[in-house]
Amino acid sequence: MTTRTTSQPPPPGPKPRKAREGAPHWGATSLFIGPALLALAVVAVLPTVWAVVSSLFDWHFHRPQARTFVALGNYLRLASDPRFLNAAWVTTIYTTVSVSATLVLGTLLALLTKAPFPGKALVRALLTVPMIMTPVVSTLVWKTFFFEADAGLVNWLLGLAGIQGPAWVASSPSALITILVVNVWFMTPFVYLVMDAALEGLPGEVIDAAKIDGAGYWQRVQFVVLPMLRATIVFTVIFRITIDARMFEIIHVMTGGGPARDTEVLTLWVYNAALRNFHLGYGNAGGVVLMLLVGSVCLAILLVGVRDLYQRTGST
Amino acid sequence: MSRRAKRGIAEALRLLTIAVAVFVAVLPLLWVVLASFKTGADVAQLPPRLLFTPTLENYQRVLDAGFAAFFYNSVVITVAAVALSVGLGVPAAYGFSRLRVPGARPLLLFVLSIRFVPYIVFAVPLFIMMVGLQLVGTHGAIIVVYILINLPLVVWLMKSFFDDVPTDIDDAAAVDGANRLQSFAFVVLPSAAAGVACVTILSFIFTWNEYLLALVLSGRAAQTLPVVLTRFLGGMEDPVRWGLLSASSVVVLAPVVIVTLLVHRYVRAGFGGSAG
Repeated sequence: MTTRTTSQPPPPGPKPRKAREGAPHWGATSLFIGPALLALAVVAVLPTVWAVVSSLFDWHFHRPQARTFVALGNYLRLASDPRFLNAAWVTTIYTTVSVSATLVLGTLLALLTKAPFPGKALVRALLTVPMIMTPVVSTLVWKTFFFEADAGLVNWLLGLAGIQGPAWVASSPSALITILVVNVWFMTPFVYLVMDAALEGLPGEVIDAAKIDGAGYWQRVQFVVLPMLRATIVFTVIFRITIDARMFEIIHVMTGGGPARDTEVLTLWVYNAALRNFHLGYGNAGGVVLMLLVGSVCLAILLVGVRDLYQRTGST
Repeated sequence: MSRRAKRGIAEALRLLTIAVAVFVAVLPLLWVVLASFKTGADVAQLPPRLLFTPTLENYQRVLDAGFAAFFYNSVVITVAAVALSVGLGVPAAYGFSRLRVPGARPLLLFVLSIRFVPYIVFAVPLFIMMVGLQLVGTHGAIIVVYILINLPLVVWLMKSFFDDVPTDIDDAAAVDGANRLQSFAFVVLPSAAAGVACVTILSFIFTWNEYLLALVLSGRAAQTLPVVLTRFLGGMEDPVRWGLLSASSVVVLAPVVIVTLLVHRYVRAGFGGSAG
């Protein structure tokens, strides 16, 4: 009689449920999750909606009565605003260089520290120091003690080698280099920590098998280790892009966007337009563009990079 | 050269590279701590003086400049903001891990997506809102706004910690007659205590270090340490003020650096998980 259960169509009505399925827990959900969602609605959704709506208006903070609806006028103006386009370009360079450099350096460091050595725990702890140091403070330290033109460490070292160093923060293109150096110093530990944790989770047998098959160290890294880390790398790149694209403090403290807007990234552009010049609508339009840029770049990387995203987000 | 000698050289090079990386990583911290104990004459010396008569005069000047009030601002705001985000986020994470939440996946992605929005997009509207509510320059405004930076992190990290706690203990608690709240508070939450420690410390670091939102919202009365450091120490390029800069920097750094080095494994677990 076994055919009866397999050949007959399933009975009408709801499909049999898995153990964890059932009626949604409306009451408990609102109790446990409701407050958090309400808070996020107030501090995140409301401002985002306000930013988008205000970007459709010509709206100056000190002349609220003169507010006029301009539809996409602000966005059209952005497209031909050289200062905005410059900021978009600087953001692209800054993010691309910094994400690439931290990814390479952080991964190399994780590979280097994989095999045991004396003092490994301490080394791991010390390598996280740049990431937890208050960015405003570390930028000030780099600016005054290291990149200062006359009395700074970098130019003193260059001087020993007979090189006359530039006025780092005040000239071009060295100002961009200084914020890149600080950002790479600041964010390499993040990549290192993520990669270090991911390397620990790799199955050692697979790597050993490649070793027995005669693969050299770099072959094992290239063809065995890195492919297994693909999902981690994609997620790290996305996190890194979002962090760099919103970076404010390093640049604000180090150069203030100068010289001649060489280092004015989009975050700083929005800050200046909306909160210094008080063009709320126009500034917010720039912010919305930045948000859409970051979102679409990350989404593209996600779609190209991994297909097993769903399982991963479920497990992390 | 023998194979063994080659391997020895490779190992020496590896350790040397690691040592250089560690040196570069800690150099700014080391430098500023040493500089904070130097007198005006010593602080700008190159090569740096490693042997010098330490002085506390820079710290005295920091005290005289009224730094205690700003330290107080930072402590109040950080403690309250972390408590708020952990208090809201831990139950929410439990809910996402254990309850049949209608629309759980889109809701979780919504929470995560907040971490991907550049904070300046929130900062401008929040400033206008706080101006309208006349809350600019109050501790409360900044505390509430810091939900933005901490709550998504707390929810996502805590959910993964709760997911690691076997549901058998929920079932056992239910058999013993515990209701949902009791099961959460007395059974599941204690099993995920390490997770709570982890998210608390990460939130603490991010809140203490935050600059942009504090700069926009703190007005005059609620300035936190990072904001004060940049506003109040204008003209730091002058080496005469480097001692003062160093001592005030150390005051700002001390809490995060000490906490991090003391409980490093939690920090590592958090960042290694999914933070940023």
